[in-house]
Amino acid sequence: MLLELHVWGPAFSLPSIDAQCLATMTYFSLVLPKDAWVLVASSDPSVSPTNELPALRSGATWVSRFRNIVDYLRQYSGGEWDLDRDLTGGERADNIAFSSFVESRGQSLVDLSLYVSSQNYWDKTSPAYGAILQWPNQWILPPKIHAQAKLRTEHLGLSSLDLEAIREQKDREHSAAVAAGKIPKTLIRNPRETVSTLLSKTSQQNQFRLEALTAEFFEPLESLLGHQPYFLSPDRPTTLDCLALAYLSLADIPDLPFSWLRDAMRSKAPGLTAYTDRMRRHHLGLEVKVIDALSATSTSSTSSPSLPWQAPERASFATLGKTLYDTLADSTPILKHIRLNNRLREAALAPHSGLSGKESKAVSAYALARKHDLYLSIGSVVVSLAALVGYMAHIGLVGFSLAEQEVPSGTDPDPDADIDAVVDAGQVGDFLSML
Amino acid sequence: MSTENRDGLGHTAPESPSADERSTSRTARARDLFSVPAPIKRIFDRFPLVVYPANDLPQSRDSEFRGNRLFVFTDAAGSRRGRPSFNPQCLKWQAYLKFVGIEFETVPSTNHASPTGALPFLLPTLPPGTINPIPSTKLQKWAIEQVHCEEEQQLNIRFEVYASLLDHRIRNAWLYALYLDTDNFNAVARKLYVNPTTTNTAVRMVLAAQLQQAARDELLKSCTYIDVNDLEAEAANAFEALSNLLGDHTHFFDRPNPGLFDASVFAYTHLLLDEGMGWKQNRLGRVLRKYENLVQHRERLLKCF
Repeated sequence: MLLELHVWGPAFSLPSIDAQCLATMTYFSLVLPKDAWVLVASSDPSVSPTNELPALRSGATWVSRFRNIVDYLRQYSGGEWDLDRDLTGGERADNIAFSSFVESRGQSLVDLSLYVSSQNYWDKTSPAYGAILQWPNQWILPPKIHAQAKLRTEHLGLSSLDLEAIREQKDREHSAAVAAGKIPKTLIRNPRETVSTLLSKTSQQNQFRLEALTAEFFEPLESLLGHQPYFLSPDRPTTLDCLALAYLSLADIPDLPFSWLRDAMRSKAPGLTAYTDRMRRHHLGLEVKVIDALSATSTSSTSSPSLPWQAPERASFATLGKTLYDTLADSTPILKHIRLNNRLREAALAPHSGLSGKESKAVSAYALARKHDLYLSIGSVVVSLAALVGYMAHIGLVGFSLAEQEVPSGTDPDPDADIDAVVDAGQVGDFLSML
Repeated sequence: MSTENRDGLGHTAPESPSADERSTSRTARARDLFSVPAPIKRIFDRFPLVVYPANDLPQSRDSEFRGNRLFVFTDAAGSRRGRPSFNPQCLKWQAYLKFVGIEFETVPSTNHASPTGALPFLLPTLPPGTINPIPSTKLQKWAIEQVHCEEEQQLNIRFEVYASLLDHRIRNAWLYALYLDTDNFNAVARKLYVNPTTTNTAVRMVLAAQLQQAARDELLKSCTYIDVNDLEAEAANAFEALSNLLGDHTHFFDRPNPGLFDASVFAYTHLLLDEGMGWKQNRLGRVLRKYENLVQHRERLLKCF
């Protein structure tokens, strides 16, 4: 049976824009015979019931995520397709620890470089997504991925790489200054800053942080690699090599306007740079173009020596309509949450989801819990609103005042009403000034 | 036309004395527009609803104790006897300070009391009268200045690498086990984090929901759905790697004294193996018990408390 690997499409002359997908393809090209699998650049997570890429389709079973796919391949082939089977205890420990290290640290750095650094995102990453995505998705998915990457790297305190965040911050400070009345309105000049002035200001602050982050990432890897051809053993690649190659090539390859990550890698880790080059040439192909992936029928292709591309299916009108409907529904509050939970449950309960019985039970239980939470929060909002209105009616704040307000004051110049209004302004003014 | 004009003038002329009146009515209307509507004004007039008497000054314990104070998640009894905190982050630093030989007393606290919004933090004795607390991110630096211990990260490249297992793999599985597993949440997390803060049922419900949501958001940062088996398998792998790293040594990286890495491992292994936590579902603990050397490592370190 042919295994279908669905991935995010090529970008920056790499076969995929996503590190997990790159790692998975490298693994496939290392362990599987060429005629046993095809690579589909579907670039649409909704192909898989778990809504994630990379996803492997084997008959009716779907498996997603690098590690699950690796496990599935081992079981599927009865232990034959397993890169890590010959590792000793110590090597196995290193394999686990370094893999976790590469995934956690590497993901942050790639996020910072490709998504959070604004010029890089708008100049390179966003157009790259535009080239691989089909029509409605190219407007829908990149902002989502962008937002997720920002969220993941929030704790690093490097949001100043993100020009939008800086602008928002400036706007906030600006309006706060106006509100505080510190600056007379007439004197406030709208801060008009170009990208380069913003960068020159922030880059020095960032430089130290980035320096530390990149050193922490590259140094242990460089010293583990030493002069060996592979990280853990002199003659066999392991899963660590797949993951490292994926993150390192995303760090090294893209030709970005603000190339701090590539510069750091080349200066701090020449060994890793050479390793990445060599591994990429052998296992991923040097110049992968989008057109190869999208139009290829798995015949021989000159530029990507080892990857058996298969053209993804064109989206039908039905799928297009569904995508549009989904997006609209997903951006409606409340409805969004209900749908999210239902989708999770459906995915989990689907018989072909590739999850074991226990897993699908856990996922659906989780989705149910989310649903209950949602109802709970809607309920509590309604109850508290009702309580507030009830209380106000009870102490007479609402009922009588409505009647009073209906006295038309504009047509009838009643001096009493006039005085009232003045007094009101005075009291409320006092109250506000106390704040 | 002229008659019409004159007529118009004639018509306005008798009213001209009341022009003042009209302008006042216009200003009144404008004032009405800017004045606060009556119902809202009534609400504001009632404020303040109640004026509570001023709070007492915080009871200073300076008179009884003049040492360093570490603010952690713990209960009053635990803090008196210096028991390990029930929060892994707090326990890590509590254990580290103990291991490097710094004298301190633990004080029960919550995140709201911390200047950084997270526990633990330390209020040092020296210099006297200091009011600047030390957040957990700077605790190691402070400890090194105090007792001149080594900065262990520099000694071995594997320190940061294996620490990533604790900070991601094991932490994620811990978050799931404590907050999102319903049985455990009701039996353990509610008892430790929610119930001590208040006796009000509604507030407890909200707090519990917030805690669970925070854990969920943290786990969903890196994936689109939470896969329990995946989290537990990753944690099991991580324990295997840690057990392998420890080997037959007494402490990690074969150091003569326990250090920061031992403290970080102990923070999770102790809480997973502690019978007093009252776990309902302890799959992580069961996995951990398979690695005899990690269990013994925890028992050795527990003697320091």
